[in-house]
Amino acid sequence: MEIEVRFELNGKDVAVRTDPLSRLLDVLRDGLNLTGTKEGCGEGECGACAVLLDGHLVNSCLIPAISLEGKSVLTIEGYRDTERFAVLKEAFAGTGAVQCGFCTPGILMAAEAILRRNPHPTEEELREGLSGNLCRCTGYAMIVEGILLAAEKGTGIW
Amino acid sequence: MVTAFRPVDLREALAVRAGERTIVFAGGSDLMVRGRSIYGGAPRFNLPVLMVGHLPELREITLDGGVLTIGPCCTLSRILCHEAVPSYVRAPLLGMASPPVRNIATLGGNICNASPAGDSLPMLYALDARIELRATDRIRTLKVADFITGPGRTLLKEDEILTGISIPLADFSRVYYRKVGTRRANGISKVSLFAAAKLSASRVEALRISLGAVAPMALRSRVAENMLESLPLEAVARRVDAVKDCFASLINPIDDMRSSKEYRRTVAFNLLENYLCNLISEEDFS
Amino acid sequence: MDDISRPIRRFDFDEKIAGKALYCADVRLDNMLHAKTLRSTKARARIVSIETPPLPEGFLVVDAGDIPGRNVVPGYYDDQPFFAQGTVNYVGEPILLLVGPDKDMIIRLLERFRVTYEEMKPVLTIEEAEGAGEGFIFGDKSSFFTLEYSNGDPDNGSLHSARIFTDEFRTGLQEHAYLEPQGLLAVYGDDGICVSGSMQCPYFIKEALVRALGWPEERIRVIQLPTGGAFGGKEEYPSIPAVHAALAAVKARKPVSLVFDRHEDMLCTTKRHPSVIRLKSYVDVNNRVIGREVDIRIDAGAYAGLSGVVLQRMMFSCGGVYDVPNLKVTGKAFATNNVVSGAFRGFGAPQVFFAIETHMENIAGALNLDVMEFKRRHFLHKGDTSSTGGIFHNEIKLDEIVSALERMSGYSRKRGPTGPGNGKLGGIGFACFFHGCGFTGSGESELIRARVRLKKYQDNTVEIFVSSTEIGQGSLTTLRKIVARTLEVPIETVKHTYPDTDECPDSGPTVASRTVMIVGRLLREAALEMKRRWDEDTFDVFREFRFPEHLAWDNKTFRGNAYPEYAWGGNVVSVEVDPLTFEVEVTGIWAVYDIGAPVDETIVRGQIEGGILQGLGYGGMEVMQTRDGAPLQASLTDYAVPNALDFPPMEIMLMDNPFSGGPFGARGLGELPLVGAAPALALAIQNAIGRKVTQLPVTPEIIMEMMKRGD
Repeated sequence: MEIEVRFELNGKDVAVRTDPLSRLLDVLRDGLNLTGTKEGCGEGECGACAVLLDGHLVNSCLIPAISLEGKSVLTIEGYRDTERFAVLKEAFAGTGAVQCGFCTPGILMAAEAILRRNPHPTEEELREGLSGNLCRCTGYAMIVEGILLAAEKGTGIW
Repeated sequence: MVTAFRPVDLREALAVRAGERTIVFAGGSDLMVRGRSIYGGAPRFNLPVLMVGHLPELREITLDGGVLTIGPCCTLSRILCHEAVPSYVRAPLLGMASPPVRNIATLGGNICNASPAGDSLPMLYALDARIELRATDRIRTLKVADFITGPGRTLLKEDEILTGISIPLADFSRVYYRKVGTRRANGISKVSLFAAAKLSASRVEALRISLGAVAPMALRSRVAENMLESLPLEAVARRVDAVKDCFASLINPIDDMRSSKEYRRTVAFNLLENYLCNLISEEDFS
Repeated sequence: MDDISRPIRRFDFDEKIAGKALYCADVRLDNMLHAKTLRSTKARARIVSIETPPLPEGFLVVDAGDIPGRNVVPGYYDDQPFFAQGTVNYVGEPILLLVGPDKDMIIRLLERFRVTYEEMKPVLTIEEAEGAGEGFIFGDKSSFFTLEYSNGDPDNGSLHSARIFTDEFRTGLQEHAYLEPQGLLAVYGDDGICVSGSMQCPYFIKEALVRALGWPEERIRVIQLPTGGAFGGKEEYPSIPAVHAALAAVKARKPVSLVFDRHEDMLCTTKRHPSVIRLKSYVDVNNRVIGREVDIRIDAGAYAGLSGVVLQRMMFSCGGVYDVPNLKVTGKAFATNNVVSGAFRGFGAPQVFFAIETHMENIAGALNLDVMEFKRRHFLHKGDTSSTGGIFHNEIKLDEIVSALERMSGYSRKRGPTGPGNGKLGGIGFACFFHGCGFTGSGESELIRARVRLKKYQDNTVEIFVSSTEIGQGSLTTLRKIVARTLEVPIETVKHTYPDTDECPDSGPTVASRTVMIVGRLLREAALEMKRRWDEDTFDVFREFRFPEHLAWDNKTFRGNAYPEYAWGGNVVSVEVDPLTFEVEVTGIWAVYDIGAPVDETIVRGQIEGGILQGLGYGGMEVMQTRDGAPLQASLTDYAVPNALDFPPMEIMLMDNPFSGGPFGARGLGELPLVGAAPALALAIQNAIGRKVTQLPVTPEIIMEMMKRGD
């Protein structure tokens, strides 16, 4: 029994018809063809599917469509047009924070979620905020350096 | 396709609950995984799902007369940043899952899942937390410790919804929480200990101890606690072994894919002994 | 630093950071169908019957009956089918594919298939395989490979009067846990079949397709897509789902996307070989190891796969960084009804270096010698011969590596009995190791025969055509750097995209730490020729690998240079062990490597940090056990992969020791960092708790048992 769900996606109002328990991840990837958000595990462990829901970092594989009504969602497709993304992008390029790239959109969402609440986190606070994002390539240090660099360069932006 | 209900308020939710068998869906961090096929995909259930996570009546946090009341659908993140929540209630929640999961997981969900390794349960048992259950025609309250009857089993009736969690607070001075998981963060608990004591200048006024993941349910023993409550401080050290012996008959861990029963038993006792032996320090005698 | 080492912005960066890179599961084609695999739930059984539910319009089954060519995965023994036919030999073995337009419906239908098995007695451990007198999985043999070789005179009399030290070590499974699950996409058209997706080796997949379809090569095309991590797990394994997807595309006459679910991926794809390694060393009165016997037993799983090569690498590396005369090495790769073991970064070396480094430390301990001094005394030097009698032609900087590590970490100072003062047990350990770069033995010249193509266009742009794949390790950047620097042209004028077998020759698989050192060198040679001919309008230069003249290898006797070159390294790890919970906190990580000249310092650092973390995970937290042949920890909830809080930042230093046989002095790098991390961690724990570590991973449960035993 499909339902219609209306929510804000990357600043625009959208309406989708879908099963109430279909995952936000699939609504994005299959329903709306926004493939920047990735499925890494489907069990809320890897963070590759992370998006911002009403400004909070969530794993989109755990969000049922029925609970999206009236909410706002931010994905990498919306985030990449922002000034904050541009700062993170340059910082990441410099610190080698991207290797295979699969964890990257989720990491950026986590970085945004951390910085908008805490524009100058300590390394420990940052690692804690990233503890729900797995990366198998980088060993994390270069990602952490990238976010710290972005926080520094982007003073005033967050 | 499974029907899902999204009631506008608690009254409507209870009416649905009274009318048919449903699965109560709070945050979904567990259900959205458990309901999946081994082949993947979106979750499916054999009963309709009743969404309650959005209901405002279930998301309030209040402190009144020394009792902290937490709505069962408060996310762990919200509880963690609410000023009325003391650090000893926060401690076990901080060790649960990861930031994005804490942003949707709820305390009510953790209670109703009734996992032997449920991270909030030792704290709730130790603090004599109570829950409120409502149906359309009745309200009842009971202790969390009585509500949970076995691994994954509770006394929740088919027409009831968990509507409140109350924790009587006290100025505990010696609080200790330790979770030993499969990883330094974001791991399933292998063993956990929650302990809180209130000391006066001369005596142990109150003592609460609860162990998690070493038995089918969280473990608490009033017999053990009574051995030390009201004792003069100097007498505590002599009674530590008796307290340990009391727990020895209750601790009943298993071997599973995460750990061994030997490890769980050993670490549980190490943590317990460490807490009790360090409970009274030199300064307390001055 | 040399120009080439200076970091530049990676060429795959812009696409990936914006979430625009299209991995296999992101590709959408018109009329595209999805596919999911029905897999065995038994470790060993005959398939009696398969009950298929009624299938709606547009849904179809693909199985062994749909294979026009041969239902045999190309391999050493050709023992593995693409689809199980009649029998299954491991939990997760593919039986059939269900294909259709709707993913959810496919799942619902798959749940209704009923497979009736007649169970057979499975062989589930190395010991069971060894002891079995019947019921073999592989013909009439308990092992796929039984190898041996010796060096010097291991039976000579002087060994009889020496002191003998023995150790036995065990290591467990490790799962790659690349973030992107396996995914392949097959499109069938008039030109034939095109399979694209997540892979390390387009030509391995092409060979598998030729075998299964029986078509001429010109009608088979393979293209790599952006790949979300691989680490060896996408070396040989993807050939199987690639064939499945291709068969489906041919049968359905529509594109077919086959993407694994994580649980499925963890259940049935290849894993690192579990091992049992025994060492016996003979030490003379001067405290010198004068002889050694090593026996290596590995669990190959249900099919031979790459186990022969893994076993060889283990056997050729088991002398460690030490010059030990009189070496005798035996090895067996046992057939069991477990998941097939396969390639995983390090390829057998992580197991072996754990064993040899711990064994050497134990000998030093028993003799009351300083372990660093004891190991140093035996270090290999330029001019020495390897365990297989090949000469080390280049400078070996092990002494410098160890000295640097000592300076950086304060190892000797921290070894003492004084703890960290916080109630925890402090310990520090170090390990030295090498990694043979390039294919083992004569593989580069006899199996691979790498070929590269460099094209110059009229507008003076250049394009690289190699089969090497970008899997996160930066090959789309490093190979360009090599070519641009050689041609002395702006790097923006050098093009390089994901390999397409229609355009790129077979430069060999992206494995064995060979991409920069071997393929990169061939590209440099091609670029040098191109430079000489630069004034010509548009032309191609091809180069083919030639076995270096100063090296030799006999594959029958295992004598000569097992590898064209080696990378060398040392790790120090410090830990604090909690005496209450036996949990290990890593408090320091130091790494000093000789990987020749770095082709890009940032890319090199990224490989080192990632590899070390995978090694530390392997050493301390990644537990995968099996019951009845099925992995117990088959989800990311249950299998603990390191996250951002598990390990502290590390200190890294590179040795300056360019390799003249590598492009701009580069040696291989990709695997070395993983090889030495677990040994250093294990030895740190051993130092902290004063008990001998004999297995990996060293979990808190194991530490507790060791401390209780009071060794």
